[in-house]
Amino acid sequence: MIQDPQHYVTGVLNRDSLMLAKTITLIESTLPAHQELARTIVDRLLPHTGRSIRVGITGVPGAGKSTFIERFGTMLTAQGHRVAVLAIDPSSSRSGGSILGDKTRMEKLAIDPNAFIRPSPSGGTLGGVGRRTRETLLVCEAAGYDVVIIETMGVGQSETTVASMVDFFLVLMIAGAGDELQGMKKGVLEVADAVVINKADGDNLVRAESAQKEYQSALNMLMPASPNWRPPVLTCSAREGKGIDAIWKTILDHRDKLTESGDLAEKRKAQDLDWMNFLLDDGLRQWFYASPHVRETLPRLRRDVEEKKTSPAAAADSLLAFLQTRNGK
Amino acid sequence: MAHHPHLPKWKETAEKEMKGKSVDTLSWTTPEGITVKPLYTAEDLEGMESVNTLPGLAPYVRGPMATMYTGRPWTIRQYAGFSTAKESNAFFHTALASGQKGLSVAFDLATHRGYDSDHPRVVGDVGKAGVAIDSVEDMKILFNGIPLDRMSVSMTMNGAVIPILAMYIIAAEEQGVSRDKLEGTIQNDILKEYLTRNTYIYPPAPSMRIVADIIAYCSREMPKYNTISISGYHMMEAGANSVLQTAFTLADGVEYVRAALRSGMDVDTFAPRLSFFFGIGMNFFMDIAMLRAARFLWHRLMSQFNPRNPKSSMLRTHCQTSGWSLTEQDPYNNIIRTTLEAMTAALGGTQSLHTNSFDEAIGLPTDLSSRIARNTQLIIQEESEICHVIDPLGGSYYLESLTSSIVSEAQKIFDEIEKLGGMAKAIESGMPKLRIEESAARKQARVDQGLDVIVGVNKYKLANETIDFEVREVPATVRDEQISRLKEIKASRDKKAVEKALADLTSVAKNGGNLLEAALPAVRARATLGEISDAMESVFGRFVATTRCISGAYASGYSGDNNAVTALRRRTTAFLEKQGRRPRILVTKMGQDGHDRGFKVIASAYADLGFDVDISPMFQSPEEAAKMAIENDVHVVGASSLAAGHKLLIPALIEELKRIGGGEILVVAGGVIPPRDYDFLYKAGVKAVFGPGTPIPESADRTLALLEEKYLRRI
Ligand code: B12
Ligand SMILES: Nc1nc2c(ncn2[C@@H]2O[C@H](COP(=O)(O)OP(=O)(O)OP(=O)(O)O)[C@@H](O)[C@H]2O)c(=O)[nH]1
Ligand SMILES: [Mg+2]
Repeated sequence: MIQDPQHYVTGVLNRDSLMLAKTITLIESTLPAHQELARTIVDRLLPHTGRSIRVGITGVPGAGKSTFIERFGTMLTAQGHRVAVLAIDPSSSRSGGSILGDKTRMEKLAIDPNAFIRPSPSGGTLGGVGRRTRETLLVCEAAGYDVVIIETMGVGQSETTVASMVDFFLVLMIAGAGDELQGMKKGVLEVADAVVINKADGDNLVRAESAQKEYQSALNMLMPASPNWRPPVLTCSAREGKGIDAIWKTILDHRDKLTESGDLAEKRKAQDLDWMNFLLDDGLRQWFYASPHVRETLPRLRRDVEEKKTSPAAAADSLLAFLQTRNGK
Repeated sequence: MAHHPHLPKWKETAEKEMKGKSVDTLSWTTPEGITVKPLYTAEDLEGMESVNTLPGLAPYVRGPMATMYTGRPWTIRQYAGFSTAKESNAFFHTALASGQKGLSVAFDLATHRGYDSDHPRVVGDVGKAGVAIDSVEDMKILFNGIPLDRMSVSMTMNGAVIPILAMYIIAAEEQGVSRDKLEGTIQNDILKEYLTRNTYIYPPAPSMRIVADIIAYCSREMPKYNTISISGYHMMEAGANSVLQTAFTLADGVEYVRAALRSGMDVDTFAPRLSFFFGIGMNFFMDIAMLRAARFLWHRLMSQFNPRNPKSSMLRTHCQTSGWSLTEQDPYNNIIRTTLEAMTAALGGTQSLHTNSFDEAIGLPTDLSSRIARNTQLIIQEESEICHVIDPLGGSYYLESLTSSIVSEAQKIFDEIEKLGGMAKAIESGMPKLRIEESAARKQARVDQGLDVIVGVNKYKLANETIDFEVREVPATVRDEQISRLKEIKASRDKKAVEKALADLTSVAKNGGNLLEAALPAVRARATLGEISDAMESVFGRFVATTRCISGAYASGYSGDNNAVTALRRRTTAFLEKQGRRPRILVTKMGQDGHDRGFKVIASAYADLGFDVDISPMFQSPEEAAKMAIENDVHVVGASSLAAGHKLLIPALIEELKRIGGGEILVVAGGVIPPRDYDFLYKAGVKAVFGPGTPIPESADRTLALLEEKYLRRI
């Protein structure tokens, strides 16, 4: 493996997909050495980032996210855009392995010279999906992709994480699945910039349209995140390619309005701050648990609490006191 | 009927023989979930609807014909085709001279998928896994010297069914045989293509229209021709057990009936010409029972359409013995397996039969291997004397019980499909494909652990395998030959006439009308198969499959903590710890090879072993596969190749990887690759080749070892 960060930096800036891929691998790696190298690379690329439209897409399994991205992405490349897709696939908790099948549903986009698709397993990385996806997104921007799409499965927590790193968060729904509103956590709708009812085709068309009304009234009851944007509910058919351009128009409209109002810049700033806070919390936690003293003492304290030799609060206090002694030094 | 008076006595005696253990411990649960007891008696048959019926009479359990083989034995119909039309024609002549009674044509994968031989996507496929047909001129050569008014010809064609059937009709016409005299079968079963066979071209809706158009045209113009062969065989070969095969096949059948009814036909005008195709595996009694149960069920299912003609609810079927059950190891054993399966088909009352050759897992049949396969049937028919009695096993307590169990189990699955809205909807939901793949993964786990014995593969293995017989190889020059013939045809035809005929076809595709009828003038004008397909594709589009992959099914076939799976999981985790990520493999299928059973089983099992597994879409070019390998930054690409494209496509992949900077990425290969090609592949840079029957823990072990060697030694 090449150790020189500049090698990667140059490669990415030259839009070399091989070096882009290798850089992402470093970002995703669990090895500290790789992490460090990745951090240097991302730092150096930072001046070249921030110039894409960042779109997050979530939805229940089978909602048609990949099929939608296939249509959406090929439409954009045909218009001259360069599109990067980051797809997060679940890792098995049993084996740790994963099946990364996204490209089987993005057949055209996968071979499009103006597209780059990277499926990533959700498991086994330091800092979780949040860290590496955020950094990967930046690297893709540096490689000249002007639309970056992040696909994540609408189960678990990854979707809110993704919402916190994109400009536009799109929730893909299907009608007729019954109680989707319950199935998808309410929290997801709160961060949605648009809800799209997919599979509005064939015998499903009528149902999709009535679902559209339902969701619209549900959304109307929520407080919008910005006074300048009311999340719309749209319908589309990813399979037939209907309604896809309207979604792009919505995204552009959102960008124009929020750029003009200054909300977008604020949003990105807030996202950066949130991210720094997260890293701080996460770093503290990691540093704390990794320190020899904590590793040594914690198991004993746990036993003591279990055996009621000490109270949980006292046990926690005694360990946290260690922070102060470190501080004093 | 009361208890057999001596049943308690038998139980007592048996348990004495078993040193006190209960006879119930002898019961066995089949993969279908049917419990098989050690003994059946008359009592088991009480109240069974399917018992004690007569052949030729509803519900046809004992056979569709009243006399069955006592009148005429089943038709020996061997499926064959390879290389050029000329070569295949010569092969047909030999077969017919040696006792074969009907023909059955295997087309190459380019033809199946609607591509002419000069199409860039088929460089590795022309003539390899069947005969290459580009125009009616090829079709005429294929049947040269074969009188089509007297020969029953079956054609396995589904995707490119319009141009192929049109070419057949015109080839006959130019032989002087009018179409009403044509006898035989066109497979024309598109639903199972989406499910297992993977030679679809268009999306389901226009494809179903094609099926209905063919049924309509042939019912009117070709009264002796079977308009469809509703096939379960491919499902079995993909992994379906006998109940799944029965249920899915009959559900396909019902879907076609409904499509024809929707197009305005009367049930009795087409239903008598529907035919079936079942696959026969190694569970001897199970599949005899399956054929009987299928006939019973079809009669029951058809009654909802109120046919007046009894033939409308009579299931007639072709059968093929299982290729999956045949092994690369100790291949002469395959002759014995095929003989057993042929007996199953005969005792189950098939109307025609294909028996596989002993070199099934190595290559296409040769003159020798196909002679033995054919003789297997001839010997059963001529020497074993089984044809004198109709349904000779009818009344067997065991067989009748099994028949009835299959009826009820298959009916349950059928009802499930009806709830989903019929088979077309069910296929869209992915349910049947996932059931089949799950069944395949479980089977693989059982075989890999030796729980299901395959002689020569996981028990009684040979120390040294040798191949002391000829293996067929179709030369790469076939493609050049086809291309130059294409050029000739294109130079000599009336270009305007071709263009007009194709435009007419496109317009029928767009505005309605019968597609088969509309294709005939194009074929007469010498339009090629690819052109005719394109003329329709411009309206219908090309179908892209949704590949889903099950997870956990392979590992769940293993029990306990200390087994091959846990050991490999430890190694993939160790790799993660040292390398910062799990071993990442791209499993890919290149060319038009649609065999995806091994591809899916490997992908699913490797994920269960702790690999990160990228799966590519089907039908990749080497360039596409390489791009994916680079972007996903995998450690290794595993190419699964079963349709003889390996010598061209895998080296091309390696070259492309090198060209675009992925020279580091290892390449391994698996599938039907004759051992004599291993060295060629190693020289091209392939690091390991895994042939049929390789246990998954073994290929995973070797693949991991290669990665450990490359990545872990250096740290
Ligand atoms: C099952 C089967 C089918 C099924 C396929 C179902 C499906 N969805 O996969 C059906 C019935 C549909 C079918 C159809 C055809 N088939 Co077929 N089929 C077979 C058969 C009997 C078994 C293949 C199989 O699935 N085995 C089980 C799996 C698990 O094994 P496997 O794929 O070999 O994988 C194992 C190893 O090879 C290895 N491996 C494989 N890939 C990889 C990849 C990696 C990364 C690794 C590590 C390991 C690995 O590990 C696996 C586990 O042990 C073979 C003969 C045989 N016995 O091998 C013929 C065979 C492959 N078929 C053949 C042909 C010609 C066809 C057709 C083209 C016929 C035609 N002209 O119409 C059609 C069209 C199919 C198409 N679209 O491509 C020929 C190919 C001839 C050749 N190579 O020269 C064969 C060899 C039979 C023969 N001798 O004629 N077929
Ligand atoms: N009828 C119809 N089917 C669609 C549409 N979009 C997707 N599908 C089908 O829905 C199924 C799931 O589509 P995917 O794109 O794989 O869905 P996904 O949300 O990415 O699924 P996961 O990645 O597994 O969560 C596939 O069978 C698609 O063909 C649509 O617009 N209409
Ligand atoms: Mg998806």
